[in-house]
Amino acid sequence: MQTVNIVLSGLGGQGILFMTKVMAQAALNKGLKTMGAETHGMAQRGGSVISHLRLGEVEGSLVRTGSAHFLLALEENEAYRNIPFLAKGGRLYANASPKSFVRQEVKPYLDKMEIVYRAIPAGKIATDLGTPMSSNLALLGFFSAFEKNLVTHKELRNAIDQVTPSRFKKINFKVFDAGFEMGTQ
Amino acid sequence: MMKRKDIFLGNGAVALGLVEAGCQIVTSYPGTPSSEILPEVVRLVKSEGLNTYIEWSTNEKVALDNAFAAAISGKRAACCMKQVGLNVAADSLMSAAYLGTVGGLVIVSCDDPGPHSSQTEQDTRLMARLAKVPVLDPSNPKEARVMARLAMELSEEFRIPVILRPAIRVCHARQALSWGPLKNNTKKASFEKDPARWAATPRFRFILHGELNEKLKKIARRFEGLTAHNFHDLEPGKKYPLGIIAGGIPYSVVRDILTEEDRKDIPVLKIGTPYPFPEALADIFMSACEKVLVLEETDTVMEYFLRDRKKVLGRLSGHVPSEGELAPQVVYRLVDKVLKDLGLAPFKGDRNQDALDLVASLDLPVRRPTLCAGCPHRASFFAIRKARPKAIFTSDIGCYTLGLNLGGVDTCLDMGAAITMASGFYHAFNQDQVAQPIVATIGDSTFFHSGTAGLLNAVYNDARFILVILDNEITAMTGMQPTPGLGIRADGSKGKAISLERVVAGCGVDFVEVVDPYEIKAMTKLLKKATEYVNSSTGGIAVIIARHPCVIAYPKEAIPERKSVTVTDDCTECNFCLERFECPALYHDEELGRTNINQSLCTQCGVCLQICPKGAIVEA
Ligand code: SF4
Ligand code: SF4
Repeated sequence: MQTVNIVLSGLGGQGILFMTKVMAQAALNKGLKTMGAETHGMAQRGGSVISHLRLGEVEGSLVRTGSAHFLLALEENEAYRNIPFLAKGGRLYANASPKSFVRQEVKPYLDKMEIVYRAIPAGKIATDLGTPMSSNLALLGFFSAFEKNLVTHKELRNAIDQVTPSRFKKINFKVFDAGFEMGTQ
Repeated sequence: MMKRKDIFLGNGAVALGLVEAGCQIVTSYPGTPSSEILPEVVRLVKSEGLNTYIEWSTNEKVALDNAFAAAISGKRAACCMKQVGLNVAADSLMSAAYLGTVGGLVIVSCDDPGPHSSQTEQDTRLMARLAKVPVLDPSNPKEARVMARLAMELSEEFRIPVILRPAIRVCHARQALSWGPLKNNTKKASFEKDPARWAATPRFRFILHGELNEKLKKIARRFEGLTAHNFHDLEPGKKYPLGIIAGGIPYSVVRDILTEEDRKDIPVLKIGTPYPFPEALADIFMSACEKVLVLEETDTVMEYFLRDRKKVLGRLSGHVPSEGELAPQVVYRLVDKVLKDLGLAPFKGDRNQDALDLVASLDLPVRRPTLCAGCPHRASFFAIRKARPKAIFTSDIGCYTLGLNLGGVDTCLDMGAAITMASGFYHAFNQDQVAQPIVATIGDSTFFHSGTAGLLNAVYNDARFILVILDNEITAMTGMQPTPGLGIRADGSKGKAISLERVVAGCGVDFVEVVDPYEIKAMTKLLKKATEYVNSSTGGIAVIIARHPCVIAYPKEAIPERKSVTVTDDCTECNFCLERFECPALYHDEELGRTNINQSLCTQCGVCLQICPKGAIVEA
């Protein structure tokens, strides 16, 4: 299999590490080789946080700029900030308002690079379900509605089941499924 | 039992390797990027029912001394820390290298090229060279695990402490590893008295130094043939215009790039044992290449060991940046430039400049890290600035360094320097008869780590300042490790809680008071009282313990009574709260033309109810 490079970005406290864990577990379950890199420490206090995930035969854990197939962003500005990671034909999923995403100045570049972008108000979905800190799961659910070739909704759901402490399972599935439904509409 | 496959954090892989090596004693002091090693050992020990002794020590030197004693009683011991922690343990390390060990002693020191979460980018490999102990440099979690075992075996075989140096991108990488049932090491402690060694005087130290040098020669020979970690892909007899020597993370980065670019014309020598350096192996590689580019993080180590200087490209020749991380895009560009300079075929090219220019043109707000919503430190800093606006604010290392954002931190040097610098400032100004107010802030864990020696010194030498110990009952920044004040040990068992009040009083301080910083008025009042004490002729150093649990570690205890908060139209957009209180939940709402509260970030701590000069922040 060709290497798949994924970048996950957001702000400290938004649950980027958890998202990375779920995706990595799902890949492992499929028998894929995985390498990931995470941010810990000072930046977790609200600074820009980024995770790299690479599936396939690789030595290093970091994604080089210009070579990511997917960028998942839990915050709009963090999506823009990390655009340089995306390869030609890459896909961008962001927690942002679908109406205003993307900023006009960014569009020509994305078009030129044939980058597909989709936005979901993940923060709002999570807040409406009473768990404002779970926008990460809404975004993952949304992602799973489009990228079945990489990992199906069901595979991601199983991975969430494996890595979620039991008391959060119900609510995590609820937000994840809500994100998925918004994607399939 | 069957082997299982799980995803391990790099630090978990190190933990696994140590436990597999039969490590019986593991000590540590938390610090990014090393903090998760000990908790991962705890996890393995619990799940596999092992009897490994585990402790969070009060600092890195304490951790290393403890592990050393275990190692010279024949047990296998390890001690984990971050790279600047090794500075604290350096005294112990230098001496331990001479004395040697009986059982294995592995020191895991994690580097932070970048730096992402450290004061410096210092390179542990140089510390290893200085101390004359071997160092292993893994390129990914899988290798870190194998090297942890190897380090233990080498240490025991050659009776020498061995350093394992994973860099942050190894520590915080994730990789799937197969692992199987783990066994207890049942080796019993036995200490053979030998004062000429274990309490060696300088005359004997000279002899021990000679022994150490002999050990290193033998280990160097071993490393020459250590093909699992030191290897190259030269074809016999072939000559190359350029070769690359790399170790650690830069090796994995450049390996991937060469594979992607399909460049079989550039051989790579990977070195997993930078010290003692396998010179003969490097010589073979060098003689097959006209030029050799050295890629290593963060400092220059291998580059110095290559004798044919004319052939070497690296930091000394200006081809490799001397600071910062060798991230894939950095390596890509620098190798590409070397290829062009040497007239060789360049890389296919990265079209990234457009994207970088685009992002730069967007003027995106820089998201600086900040204290969490509801953080008790924010309340403390607010009160301190209010009570002593003209003071010099010496501070220390932890979450509260972010008091920077509130104007409550002027200095941050090293662990414990809030106190030592406060006394230094005091004497510098006092010499000129200037009564400069000084307020030092230090966290509870940092105080236990290196606070007491500085406080004793300040009391003894009659310095005058206010010390605020920010006691949130946890080591928060590094991921919520317990402190001695809490009386909970690394494995969750009960230890003896150490009373901060008693320690402070024991240092000779007569003014020790405890306050809840959420009560901004009470804290401000206490700071005024402390000021009077500091300034009076019969006074001294005043210590305030600002005690309130961390809102992340103890959300319930930190905010027992939630208050729903809102901002009224009385807000005049003075932005006082945004600048001086800086709660991430408070923001300026352009549409409303006033401050507003982001309810999804707000923890309903209610502290901001006490700060608006216009009384515009009220309970909903
Ligand atoms: S809420 Fe109060 S402190 Fe904040 S900007 Fe408005 S008037 Fe100023
Ligand atoms: S109540 Fe005020 S200080 Fe506390 S988190 Fe909410 S906005 Fe911040």
